Amino acid sequence: MIGAFNLKKYFPVRGSALKSLYVKAVDNVSIKVNRGEVLGIVGESGSGKSTLGRLLIRLLEPTAGEILFDAPEEELKRYEDALLTNDEKTMKEISSRYSLLSKKGSELRKLRTRMNMVFQDPYSSIDPRYRILDVIMEPMISTGYLKGEEARRKVYDLLEEVGLPRNFAMRYPHELSGGQRQRVAIARALATDPDLLILDEPTSALDVSVQAQILNLLNELRRKKNITMVLITHNIAVVSYMANRVAVMYSGRLMEIGDKESVLNNPKHPYTMALISSVPRPEPGSTRKRIILKGDPPNLINPPRGCVFHPRCPMAFEKCGWSVDEIMEDMNYLLQGKYYNLFEKASVIIEGTKMYVRNVNIELLRKVINEEKDKIRSLTSIVDVTEDGEVKISEFEEPKLFKENDNREVACLLFK
Amino acid sequence: MSQVKTREKVLEVQNLRLSFYTRRGVYKALRGATLNLYSGEVLGIAGESGSGKSTLGLAIMGLLPRNARVEDGTVLLDGMDMIRPLRDYGSQGSRFSVKKNEKIIKRLNKTLQTVRGKKISMVFQEPLTALNPVLPVGYQIAEAVYFHDPERLIRRALSRQKVTHEELRELLNVLKAQGEERFLEEIERKGLQGLDEQILSIWRRRDIHEARKEKMILNLANVKLSRMDLMGISLYQRNMGKFPLASRFAKNALIREGYRLAVELLTFLGIPHPEKVVRLYPHELSGGMRQRIVIAIALANNPKVVIMDEPTSALDVTIQAQILDLVKDLKSDFNTSFIFISHDLSVLAEVSDRIGIMYAGQIVEIGSAKEIFQEPLHPYTKMLMEAIPTMDKTVLKTVPGSVPDMRNPPPGCAFSPRCPFAMEECRTNEPRMVEVNDEHSVACFLVRKGDKK
Repeated sequence: MIGAFNLKKYFPVRGSALKSLYVKAVDNVSIKVNRGEVLGIVGESGSGKSTLGRLLIRLLEPTAGEILFDAPEEELKRYEDALLTNDEKTMKEISSRYSLLSKKGSELRKLRTRMNMVFQDPYSSIDPRYRILDVIMEPMISTGYLKGEEARRKVYDLLEEVGLPRNFAMRYPHELSGGQRQRVAIARALATDPDLLILDEPTSALDVSVQAQILNLLNELRRKKNITMVLITHNIAVVSYMANRVAVMYSGRLMEIGDKESVLNNPKHPYTMALISSVPRPEPGSTRKRIILKGDPPNLINPPRGCVFHPRCPMAFEKCGWSVDEIMEDMNYLLQGKYYNLFEKASVIIEGTKMYVRNVNIELLRKVINEEKDKIRSLTSIVDVTEDGEVKISEFEEPKLFKENDNREVACLLFK
Repeated sequence: MSQVKTREKVLEVQNLRLSFYTRRGVYKALRGATLNLYSGEVLGIAGESGSGKSTLGLAIMGLLPRNARVEDGTVLLDGMDMIRPLRDYGSQGSRFSVKKNEKIIKRLNKTLQTVRGKKISMVFQEPLTALNPVLPVGYQIAEAVYFHDPERLIRRALSRQKVTHEELRELLNVLKAQGEERFLEEIERKGLQGLDEQILSIWRRRDIHEARKEKMILNLANVKLSRMDLMGISLYQRNMGKFPLASRFAKNALIREGYRLAVELLTFLGIPHPEKVVRLYPHELSGGMRQRIVIAIALANNPKVVIMDEPTSALDVTIQAQILDLVKDLKSDFNTSFIFISHDLSVLAEVSDRIGIMYAGQIVEIGSAKEIFQEPLHPYTKMLMEAIPTMDKTVLKTVPGSVPDMRNPPPGCAFSPRCPFAMEECRTNEPRMVEVNDEHSVACFLVRKGDKK
């Protein structure tokens, strides 16, 4: 249905006069959505999942990358292969036919009828001065899909479809409850009979009981109309209820993507594991082990090198991209906190990208580092401590999406 | 089960009825809410939006707007009725004047100043609005202690001023050899009250080596007050705190001590580099950090009851997991009881010992977390449980209809219009709370007393 390749969106933030800074909201994300499926995108706030959703239907212009809309499966495959071999001729040829980014004017407006979006907050996504009739009619008229009496009739059909009485057409949004408004928003999104629907947190502003109603409605619509949906949410329970495939995002990058059952029941990426284990479950007194991540998601202006998740990862190893500053923090803790009795006068110095320890019994330090490697992951990247106190750090690698055999891809070096 | 009864009751809410008078009518927000909170437990309160769960929290704190009329009921904290003046006015006659109520609330606020933040405190949903954006977070923690218990800060500062290296070493030896109880006696004997919490907060840390802790404790003797601060404290002790310049000196000295206390608290709450964090402003911190700061302020005076109103709803799942873990730790380390209000039943399942389900201003079912989840009795609770989406459900059951209009709630059982089991009786009579066993009560005609002993 739709395929995005190496999609990037950098938002400029005020930097210094010489160098402008960017928030890397979406960084190198490639994603395919198949016809008729529901793809769930989960992630914490700031992980770029909403930005990705908006990029997919071109509500935002990507900084770089390519989006192919309505391309057959083989063509997507060909483009992917061409991308790997850097075959620019084929890429250009396919882009010229399917690229969403090169469409302009009336051509784009025509395409707009085939995709639509439902926003999170039904209180701010509906114009309070429009009657419900006008709200739902708006996309039909602005894209020229239907007009006049035809459009009006369509509104009544849509209201029925989303389970609202016909007389709601003459009401104003403030007369409706949150659940009813969200139904109106869904009716509006369906007005031009789209093939692709992006649902950006459709239920997070609603109560549990209303949430269940909306989810059931969406499921029913999908069954009836065979619409492809991209469901963006932070609520894993909702995704597990609705989606066929799940993509997990963290700090603007795709961490894992695959079939719902395999990703949610048997997560492979350490972040997915932690995310799923930290979802509270309605089972009091359960003894399941939770992985509680330490710290907060990173700053996206200057994300960590290597894998963005490594500073919080309980399974990180030497190649994940540890920097001297990160290691120094943990070394200081070892020397001045946990093993203070052994290294009373020790200090750690950083010179450029090199790190030195002073006033330390090297033998002893090596032993301590070996012992603590399992718990303090940054220490795994220490290759050796030389006799003159230099701490040697291993090389790092950038993780890519690695294919696993059960139809999923994981962006973690553990699965290389 | 019998041990539950012997546990000490710290908070008792009896038949609380509260209405809001507005231009559009009288909203009956609470219609006879009753609950008990025992020491050292986490009581979860769940309900849809508009069920009155937040109002209940605010009413317990006595934080009510001027159009709130308390028609009946008591909130007993430690034997003291928090809202008595409001009830005394609200329960008489049919005339209700908002202006008069406002005056009573103003007077009540003054009397409650000694209780709020000290015996009972509250954590709100949105940490950014709960914190003052123009003050460093450390100041805000220090201020909470300065306002309620300045003596504690003075004790801390002066005991540190007085203590010598030798005395500290002796104390440390007692602590190492004979345990905390003997250590506290020793502190008493030496007249060094105030030093105990400083030493213990270092001693109880689990992340650093003993040798490091010892050094940090011995180092306490080196941290002396500046001459300015000494003057400030002595001014305060001579009751000069009211005079313009003197009060400035005194406050500065005590707040500075409060910063030290804030660092100790934040270390305890698992914040890295607390010395730096206390100097930061709220906007410089992440959501999870801010919520920890708010929790630190709530806990600063060792209150008996902490009400948490949706403390994790604005946070991400992984951060939410951190905060829930923290609440579980706090429950065992502090002798504090928590009321945890949330719309998310799964969150409550993680932290609560007991759970109360609210509907239309009443608690319709209350019981141990396990029983509420495994054998819910009230039809509303059952339907709420079935509406939680999970992986193995193919169709979600929904609760039909919506929360009733609280201006004129349905007669009889408020849930009867939405209830699939509603009988004739339900529409006319209001069901009372029925005890099914020691811990589990339900307000539903379908359940008879002692149904499950």
